[in-house]
Amino acid sequence: MSEPLLRVREIHTYYGDSYVLQGVSLELHEGRIVAILGRNGMGKTTLIRSVAGLTPPRRGDVIFKGRPLRDQPPYAIAQQGMAIVPQGRRIFRSLSVRENLLLPTSRLARPAAGAGARRTRWDLDGILEEFPQLAERIDHPGGTLSGGEQQMLAVGRALMANPDLILMDEPSEGLAPLLVRQIERIMQSVRKHGHSILLVEQNFELAMSVADHIHVLASGRFVFQGTPGALSREGEVLDHHLGVSGRR
Amino acid sequence: MPRAGRIALALTALTAAVLLPQVAGPFWTGLVTQMYIFGLLALSVDLLLGHAGLFSLCHASFFAMAAYTTAILQVRYAVPTALAAPAGVLAGTLLALVLGLAVRTRGVYFILITIAFGYVVWGVAHRWSSFTGGDNGVTNVPFPAVGAWRVESHTEYYYLVLAVVLLCALGYRILVASPFGLALRGIKASETRMRSLGFACGLHLYAAFVVSGALASLAGVLYVYYNRFVNPVAASFPVSVEAALMAIIGGTGTIVGPFIGSWIMLGLRNWVSSFFALYASVMGLVFIAVVLWAPDGLVGLAGRLRARAQKAGAG
Repeated sequence: MSEPLLRVREIHTYYGDSYVLQGVSLELHEGRIVAILGRNGMGKTTLIRSVAGLTPPRRGDVIFKGRPLRDQPPYAIAQQGMAIVPQGRRIFRSLSVRENLLLPTSRLARPAAGAGARRTRWDLDGILEEFPQLAERIDHPGGTLSGGEQQMLAVGRALMANPDLILMDEPSEGLAPLLVRQIERIMQSVRKHGHSILLVEQNFELAMSVADHIHVLASGRFVFQGTPGALSREGEVLDHHLGVSGRR
Repeated sequence: MPRAGRIALALTALTAAVLLPQVAGPFWTGLVTQMYIFGLLALSVDLLLGHAGLFSLCHASFFAMAAYTTAILQVRYAVPTALAAPAGVLAGTLLALVLGLAVRTRGVYFILITIAFGYVVWGVAHRWSSFTGGDNGVTNVPFPAVGAWRVESHTEYYYLVLAVVLLCALGYRILVASPFGLALRGIKASETRMRSLGFACGLHLYAAFVVSGALASLAGVLYVYYNRFVNPVAASFPVSVEAALMAIIGGTGTIVGPFIGSWIMLGLRNWVSSFFALYASVMGLVFIAVVLWAPDGLVGLAGRLRARAQKAGAG
């Protein structure tokens, strides 16, 4: 198999004195969705922050497109083709929908050229076609959008950077089941356009339905890795670490 | 406000500005000239405050650095305006390149470090009297003259300042509407988010600081040719504070706001100080009232009142 797009090798990440990620490794290949499942406080967001350089690991390596990201500031990492859909839909509330979407395309952010001949190049029109609700609110401040619309804006903003890899931190959080279904469709469509996704989730059904590969994180270590099919047969992991019944 | 209304208002204001020296006496012409100059200083402060979210309290430093440089060159070395004025702006901008180190800090630390910088510059102006003239400053600055063209009166200077300030406001408008301006507003909203979008935030803030310092320097040059002298008061802490207050009272993040603020501050000071010795206290009360009841400044207050009137009209 070819070199993965993202390779996380034995990373150990601390928040001050607390030892959050205790030797975590994973691989993510181009065009795939890898999901990290786990309960609150298990280190899921820390994993995203470690990959993005926001909380750099103290030991271990994050290797993106074959190059280690060690000691690089978050903005330099982002410029290499990584975008985040942060937890809690952190859009710019005071900026309009249009401004939110245009920010990542600014020459000042120097978005990475991207590999993407086989991939869609996103622009404002493309995003508005993909998310028609945003087109209707294009000049409204981001803060006036509903939760679902803000999530779409956060995804749209990430796509506008034309990243190779999108990091999504709990996109389903606080959304009604109907909207979670919509997020699911959006993610599948995003993958179809050639982007790879590292998804961190508590929502078991969402992760199971979109991911090619799932890791279960518990207290800073992976206790399971494999396909969704394999996970559904792991009664004990489901019971102990995810709080879903193993009898499903 | 609808576009036509805004254009009509702008044209009315412009006509009034052009006609003012013809109908008003030299006192008013002079006062309004100062309002433009300090409005420009407040505008420079607001590039950081209203757009980038940095509260600088050292803009008097750039203002004074430029004023002193131009004054010393003109008076002591008889350097012509065509060189002395640009040299003043350059000197203030160079100072901003150095003091721009402050953007390594944020929040209250940024405020404190800019206050400290401001005192250093004031101290130099005050104590290095062999060069700066100490408390007396530099006097007898002539009116600007470029080649055969020279300003002969305060009325003529008024028009020069008006033209420069209008050009600056126009350039400022283009700047804040540019991708750079958008990036600054993004940084003000959240630096972390901007970093994960690929923006080198520190670099952008540094650039904004230097541009802002250059604008303050230009105000300093305009000031010294108006005032005809400069002393350490120009570099003092109250000047920095008042520039920020003007932006806040008028409305941060806007272009007219800082000018409205400077009109109110200078207008009130002139009016109140004519009959009440404690005018500074009155200014303080005005500022408190604005922060309590019109936190977005008068421009924001006007917008809110208009929205309420529209709602009442519709309901």
